[in-house]
Amino acid sequence: MGKYILKRLFYILVVFLLLSLMIYLIYNMLPVDKAAEQAKAEVSGSKGELNYDERYEFWQKQYGLDGNIFQRYLRWLGVYRYTPTKEGEKGYFNGLLQGNLGESRLFNKPVSEVLVEPMKNTIFLNIFATILALGITIPLGIFCAVKRGSKRDTAVQVGTIVGFSLPTFIIAIVFIWLFAVVLNLFPVSGMATAGSDSWTSWQKFWDKMYHLCLPLIVMTFTSLGGMTRYVRASMIEALSMDCIRTARAKGLREKVVIYSHAWRNALIPIVTLVIGWFLSIFSGSLMIENIFALNGIGKTYYDALQNNDNEIVLALQMFYIFISLAGNLIIDIVYGFVDPRVRVNK
Amino acid sequence: MDQNSNKHEKIDNVFVRVGKTLWNWTRRMFMGASKDLANQDIFEVEKLESPSKLAVKAFFRRKIAVVALCVLIAMFLFVFVGPVIFPMDMNYTDPLQMNLAPVMSMRSVPRALRGNIRSINGFSNFTVGVSNDNNLYVWGATEDALTGVDMADFPAEITEGNVAYAAAGRDHIIAITTDGKIVGWGDKSLAQYGENKNTANPALVGMPKELIDGTIDVSKVDSLTCGLQVTALVIDGKLYMWGNGSACLNLADTLKKEYTGVQEVIFSNYYAVVLFKDGTIACEGGYFNFASASSSKGTKVSNFTSYLATKKVVNITATDNCFGFLLSDGEVLVQSASRYNEDKIPTIPAGEKVVNLVSGTRHFVALTDAGKAYAWGHNDYGQSKINGVECDAVYAGSYQTYLAEKNDDTGVSSPASYQNGVGYELEDSYGLRGYPFGTDNRGRDTLTRIIHGGKMTMTVGAVAVIVSSIIAIIIGCLSGYFGGWVDMLLMRITEIFSAIPFLPFAMMLSYVIRNYDISENMRIFIIMIILGVLSWTGLARMIRGQVLAEREKEFVTAAKSMGVKESKIAFKHILPNIISVILVSMALDFAGCLLTESSLSYLGFGVQQPRPTWGNMLNGANNSIVIQNYWWQWLFPSIFLAIATISINIIGDTIRDVLDPKSSQEK
Repeated sequence: MGKYILKRLFYILVVFLLLSLMIYLIYNMLPVDKAAEQAKAEVSGSKGELNYDERYEFWQKQYGLDGNIFQRYLRWLGVYRYTPTKEGEKGYFNGLLQGNLGESRLFNKPVSEVLVEPMKNTIFLNIFATILALGITIPLGIFCAVKRGSKRDTAVQVGTIVGFSLPTFIIAIVFIWLFAVVLNLFPVSGMATAGSDSWTSWQKFWDKMYHLCLPLIVMTFTSLGGMTRYVRASMIEALSMDCIRTARAKGLREKVVIYSHAWRNALIPIVTLVIGWFLSIFSGSLMIENIFALNGIGKTYYDALQNNDNEIVLALQMFYIFISLAGNLIIDIVYGFVDPRVRVNK
Repeated sequence: MDQNSNKHEKIDNVFVRVGKTLWNWTRRMFMGASKDLANQDIFEVEKLESPSKLAVKAFFRRKIAVVALCVLIAMFLFVFVGPVIFPMDMNYTDPLQMNLAPVMSMRSVPRALRGNIRSINGFSNFTVGVSNDNNLYVWGATEDALTGVDMADFPAEITEGNVAYAAAGRDHIIAITTDGKIVGWGDKSLAQYGENKNTANPALVGMPKELIDGTIDVSKVDSLTCGLQVTALVIDGKLYMWGNGSACLNLADTLKKEYTGVQEVIFSNYYAVVLFKDGTIACEGGYFNFASASSSKGTKVSNFTSYLATKKVVNITATDNCFGFLLSDGEVLVQSASRYNEDKIPTIPAGEKVVNLVSGTRHFVALTDAGKAYAWGHNDYGQSKINGVECDAVYAGSYQTYLAEKNDDTGVSSPASYQNGVGYELEDSYGLRGYPFGTDNRGRDTLTRIIHGGKMTMTVGAVAVIVSSIIAIIIGCLSGYFGGWVDMLLMRITEIFSAIPFLPFAMMLSYVIRNYDISENMRIFIIMIILGVLSWTGLARMIRGQVLAEREKEFVTAAKSMGVKESKIAFKHILPNIISVILVSMALDFAGCLLTESSLSYLGFGVQQPRPTWGNMLNGANNSIVIQNYWWQWLFPSIFLAIATISINIIGDTIRDVLDPKSSQEK
């Protein structure tokens, strides 16, 4: 098992490097030159005292933008030294590995600082959404599989095909219309009531939950369609196995047959799905955060793209890729635990 | 010869068979297949049918799938034929028609008014008419979706049979009752009627006190006209004007002059022009000083004011941008820069003399003494397609033209006034009927945009699916068939691509290409490619799995032993065997691509405004005002998108079930 995990780890690392190179190359296609901007601002402010070329070179070195694209890439990763600006000095490392994600142009703060608060919100939102979605879809999927072909199953099937055919934003708009505008139960958007700064932390928490209700409902609803169908399909597959027939022939109670025998077998594809889904909602919540104006990383990413805050874009893109690869790794490992055949093969 | 007829017979046969099959399908769809099956001879030897034929039959036996297929085909026709029928000007905007709710009654004159018209007047989306028995009617988009003010809710002062005059502005109506009371309703925040409550705004001029409280002598009213948010009333040659000075830039200057002997005042979107009873005109603010005008004689009048000095003006009228003048000798002058061909006055046939001139927002209508109407100007809605239609009176709404004829046969006359007691019967109406799906925040028709947006969404989706399928087929076939290091390499590449989070990455790529100066078409093409390149991994894995299973079969061994080239085996022998799986997956992917395109466009990183797609039409719909008040702006695009994706998914699911031999066994 340990060897298997190591192998996967190594492989994921290679993929991460390749992807980061790709992202960095794409990032370099943007027609921005930080050093030139900085140098220009300095020279025009100095009333002709400074030499533009000299300053440009200085800022290039400062930002680690001199040299060819691979040197720059490696510097950005943090495995290649910056060119020293003074003679006799040794250059320093300052990249992703050192925890430097660059500086946000919009906030004038290091990106890692900017992202703390949104990250908290997004993780909070996603964990809640996962719990809700799993709590509903798994029992519903099992129910549909057991009562296959019944009227209730057909109704759920029709409902889920509608659910997974509709894009998130349409569901969100309909839900806002229904719950926020017509029924007036929840706020339309935002994360806190205006003037809630002076409230106690307990009040603030409930206020936040109140604002997150509608986004959570929408996220849960959008996941219902695909997940229920998936759980149902794998459960049907499991129920048609020979071992189930044997279990029934032995005279086991139906509950035991379903939850102990069939469910175990259905679990393997579901585990993949659940982890994959949990990670995909990080990028999926991008939409929800924008619709409901929640201060999450999706919203931050969107705002950064709108405002040409390239460092944040780069950092978050790397984060999304990291999450996705980590998810793949976790799926592989969990697979190894759940399904012994995988370990033996590799 | 014989061969030829044989060929014809064959072709005929094919047609007959296709027709029969189609007929059977339709019949089975609506009447069920049981009768058919019952008629079959059960002792007949069962014919052997190919799996694909069986699958098609099984597909058409499922009612939901057939309905979904019909809906999808209808939708394809709708979005690909529709743009030909409903062309769209992408950069069109019309502030007057912003955010209109679905309405189709913009030129439906109420039945009770039709036979007895005294006047019809409209400035924007609703039109007021007064019948000769002093009844008031309002039609068109009367309700403001945001404020909920309904122009058709008359104030208490208006009762049956007591309205003498009425005129409509952009958002207000002014009426004079038979007992001399001046009544206004609609929006009054910009001093459109009543007292000026908003004294902080220096441009606003309130309604004169004596008009608010007192009554006037109705028989002495010369004219009542409304502009955008302004009103002018002339009583016995004395001019009263009030309203929003920003909608009529020379309002204050005109009022300062304290004119007498006035006949009428007319408003364009910017200025007021005064017509005096002696046939002269005045426009304060020096607007006409050096203006030129086009004449119906086909010439250009360079110095317009000096030209008019020797002439007598009998009637003036105004569109949004242009003023029209009717001179006593029948000449028509149109002044100002026209945007919608308002200055292209048609040649009036010799012997006919223009006796009346009216105008809508962007067009003019002239009536000659021979009883013929001519219209020119903006013609997108067909309001100016009249050229010599016989009638006795002409009226214009904003984008509508109404032609009427006299009940008795006494010939053409100028429009009926309160006193002369002639009613006209509506003969025909032309122009804008309304918008079945409302308009958006720039005054564009939602239906047209849905049609064109659907075309764009479907095209982007289809191209993306084709691109992704081609990549998936190549990679899947190669890696499945060859195995070994090729498989290893290609699968690692697949994994890398599948690790890319779709939405953020597509947004980033779109953001990067936004920084390059390329044409909009190129941008859209790149977006199609991006969508395709990012979504092939799932299909490629599936194809690989299928190929792995197929290549162990005997026919591949046979082909190999016959010395068929490897690549030929992969693409010509194995691929056809798995094509059904690919087709199902392509159908489902198509729905997926529609969704991703619209998500991307919704966020503003796909196809950009003003080019519509179903996604970007919903852009900006996530605020409560749009969701609540302008429901048609998000509801209709959503419905179309939803129907398209749901039917594609149903069809894809059904095909999968039908092709899967397991599912039919179980039932």
